[in-house]
Amino acid sequence: MEDKRPWTFYAFAAFFTLFVLFLYGPMIVIYILSFQGPNGGMTFPLNGVSLHWFEALISQTRVGDIAGAFHRSIGLAVLVALITVSVSVLAGLGFRRRFRGSAFAFYFAIASLIMPGLFVGLGIALTFRLLGLETNWYLSGLGAQLTWTLPFGLLIMFAVLGRFNRSYEEAATDLGATSWQRVKEVTLPMLLPGIIGVALFGFTLSYDELARTALTAGSENTLPLEIWAMTTNVTSPTLYAVGAVTTIVSFLVISIALGSIAFIQRRRALGIRQESLAATE
Amino acid sequence: MANAGGSGEVSVVGVTKRYGETVAVKDLSLTIPHGAYCCLLGPSGCGKTTILRMIAGHETPTRGDIRIGGTSVLGLPQVRRGTAMMFQSYALFPHRSVLDNVAFALKMRGTGLSERHAAARELLAKVQLEKFANRLPPQLSGGQQQRVALARALITNPRVLLLDEPLSALDEYLRLRMRGELRRVQKELGITFIHVTHTQLEAIAVADMVVVMANGHIEQAASARDIFVAPRNAYVTRFVGGQNVLCGKVEGVTDGTAVLVSERGARLAFPVSGRQPARGAELYGSIRRDRIAIEKLPAGSLPPNELNAIVGEVHTIENQGSYVKVTVDFADDEEFVAHVPDDEFFRDPLDIGDRVVARWSASDINLLDDGLNVRPAMPMAAAAS
Amino acid sequence: MTVIDPTAGDLAASSVSVPDAEVEHAVDTGEVASWLQVTPLMILLTLFFGLPMLVVLAVSFFDFDRTDIIPAFIFDNYIDLFRSEVTLRLYLSSLKFAAIVWAVTLILGFNIAYFLVFHVRSLLWQIGLFLVCTVPFLTSNIIRMISWIPFLGRNGIFNQALERAGVISHPLEFLLFSDFAVVVAYVHLFTLFMVVPIFNSMARIDKSLLEAARDAGAGRFRVVAEIVLPLSKTGIALGTIFVVTLVMGDSFVVRTMSGGQSASVVSALQNEVAALQYPPAAASAIIMVIIVTLMVAGILRLVDVRKELAG
Repeated sequence: MEDKRPWTFYAFAAFFTLFVLFLYGPMIVIYILSFQGPNGGMTFPLNGVSLHWFEALISQTRVGDIAGAFHRSIGLAVLVALITVSVSVLAGLGFRRRFRGSAFAFYFAIASLIMPGLFVGLGIALTFRLLGLETNWYLSGLGAQLTWTLPFGLLIMFAVLGRFNRSYEEAATDLGATSWQRVKEVTLPMLLPGIIGVALFGFTLSYDELARTALTAGSENTLPLEIWAMTTNVTSPTLYAVGAVTTIVSFLVISIALGSIAFIQRRRALGIRQESLAATE
Repeated sequence: MANAGGSGEVSVVGVTKRYGETVAVKDLSLTIPHGAYCCLLGPSGCGKTTILRMIAGHETPTRGDIRIGGTSVLGLPQVRRGTAMMFQSYALFPHRSVLDNVAFALKMRGTGLSERHAAARELLAKVQLEKFANRLPPQLSGGQQQRVALARALITNPRVLLLDEPLSALDEYLRLRMRGELRRVQKELGITFIHVTHTQLEAIAVADMVVVMANGHIEQAASARDIFVAPRNAYVTRFVGGQNVLCGKVEGVTDGTAVLVSERGARLAFPVSGRQPARGAELYGSIRRDRIAIEKLPAGSLPPNELNAIVGEVHTIENQGSYVKVTVDFADDEEFVAHVPDDEFFRDPLDIGDRVVARWSASDINLLDDGLNVRPAMPMAAAAS
Repeated sequence: MTVIDPTAGDLAASSVSVPDAEVEHAVDTGEVASWLQVTPLMILLTLFFGLPMLVVLAVSFFDFDRTDIIPAFIFDNYIDLFRSEVTLRLYLSSLKFAAIVWAVTLILGFNIAYFLVFHVRSLLWQIGLFLVCTVPFLTSNIIRMISWIPFLGRNGIFNQALERAGVISHPLEFLLFSDFAVVVAYVHLFTLFMVVPIFNSMARIDKSLLEAARDAGAGRFRVVAEIVLPLSKTGIALGTIFVVTLVMGDSFVVRTMSGGQSASVVSALQNEVAALQYPPAAASAIIMVIIVTLMVAGILRLVDVRKELAG
């Protein structure tokens, strides 16, 4: 930057740094504490460094079915991400036109988003009960999570489509693309980074969801429910070890998503398309 | 390359387009002959882009018909209309190379890779962009993008090319160059071009036929020359520029010349060939800015008592290079401008605030429609030459 | 070159056979396509949100015994709710948390967004720092919540640091398992919901407006008060809706971080659910929904949020 920054910049920068510390500090602390020695406690000082608490996780005997919950949560998150992408991308495209009932549909989705999660869970649990059905993670749990990820995905689509110029699609139509070709060749490829964003939110929101799943997961817990149960009865650094593991998974998913978005954007900004290069030679 | 076929004559027949309560186009009819370069000219919101989009098939008329080559295209998909559109922002697909952009329409038809790339290369060569074939559009300059957009639109061999403000995204220098280029391409291909613009000089520079629009209807459709030298009414005169609007009440008519008195008391003579406007009727005329002679009025001298001479103070002076634009505060609400040749002006330069007399010859007056009950003969056919 | 006489237009118009019905049909296809595209969303939301909420409404009028709910139409659940002193205390507690957390997140969120939009000049840095704020949101809320325990506990990092520095001789007790801890956790979890909408609003402000205001002699704070604040009000409204509904609807944070000492409307409801007392829980939920809806409607009356969201 050539010109001098005002003093307020430095004040804000300091403020922002403190905020980032506030966001990440406690999380980093528990990652460190998860390597606590076998005789160490829930807080500093570190009593040696070990993988003891991670081993305790795998051994299962002390802490319940962590591995099973983990598998269920991953499966559920993938399912939620897939449904969220297909349903909210489609709905986002539909909302670009004003149609009769669009305002109602919009507010219905927003209501679903801001409704306290436990109430939605209670409603679904009661509905299943009245229908004489058992709640389970893959149906009632899935539905409960969708009431939160679908509107969220829709809002992301609004943001993505708001920046998408319609003339690209009109140009494709002019050039003879059928509606399917238009979607396949122009709309979806151009929206791809945003769609990856929707998938990322669908996955992580599901993977960490608690309030909506609490009353709807049935007899088999998802990972957040398992962790929630642990907070009340586990008083060892195992809790931190679980936290470290699930956060690593989250970070992995986030990096894959952001990495692929960055890759696409970069290729678009700088790169030369391989396909046409190959065709030249 | 076989032409998509047929005549590129475009007829807009009694078209009305409503968006809810607002009427964008009102019962508008227009025929653009095959092979013409037509400019739709008007301020933003006058309906010109709506017409273009209805011809392209991106909008459907609320009422009326659109015909290309004599057959109605309403309900036809865009690609079967034989039209192609160049968008204001070009709408080049940012995720496809220049070559793939140009070849896109052929890909949609199922043409094989090598064949469509060969055809696209040929067109790119025509617009001198062959070496950029593998770049992505964001890597090109504005002028290059415009040429890619042109090539992409032309690959389908359209009979009509629709251009939505094609030059507005370019800087002044490129704009002047590209408009000549567009004109050249149109002549070469011999297809119909319909070009939407809000810039008067652009329209007059490129078009055979200029359609001046306001509020969803046509004010005048004529050859570019007629639009400039014989505007039909005060609106067209003011919008196209280059002429001053004069107005006065008729005092009497002798030998095909009406004598009028303007609001400020100046006496004007209008040729009214054959018409007999009533005494007291209000007539409008226009006079070209370059047909006005300006003379400094010495201090203390009386204003001349003659026809077609007005007195006022110099309000602004703008040097335009080859001429000087002098604005005189002649009427309260109407700009009165004289274009004085530079050498003449600088022989005895004027200053702001100088009292001047402006004179012109009655035969240079172009009578305008406004105020006349009888519509003058339509300025037809002049452009066909 | 011909230009059609206006009268020819009339002639042609009469010969054109474009019945208005056909035109209406063309408009309809677009609308039908939109409906079809929105249908899957509406079906899912109706099944898992609309219908269940109606069931909650119905059950709130049901009777119940130790083990089961009994279909009925009685107002007892509501009457009990309004008669109980606890209800008011719970609502006051929930509202208190909502108000404090709203104020803190608003101040934080506004300043962070302001910094990112108006002080960070390079787009790459802006995206990077924005992601730094966003990424924790994509990780587990419970983990982020419990990560305060080693910090705030009696022998936690905070107390240890203060004792070592000689500021205090006895560890501070109020840090963990207290209202303070609840607020800290809420702020930690929900500030992002304030940052993102305000950031979006601010990013749309034309920077030249600020320069114009400065040219007109407005100082830094006047610029914020006169230009930035009014133009980010949709973002603030949206953030407010998120934060208030999240806090009012929470039970997990208040339970864990207060160590069971504080309660909220929803944590009390959760207790009833645990005791299988569904009808009173349903009645409590309905009252809460009405209150939250009124709050949101109040905000929406002030600011048109849909324009901001739907573009």
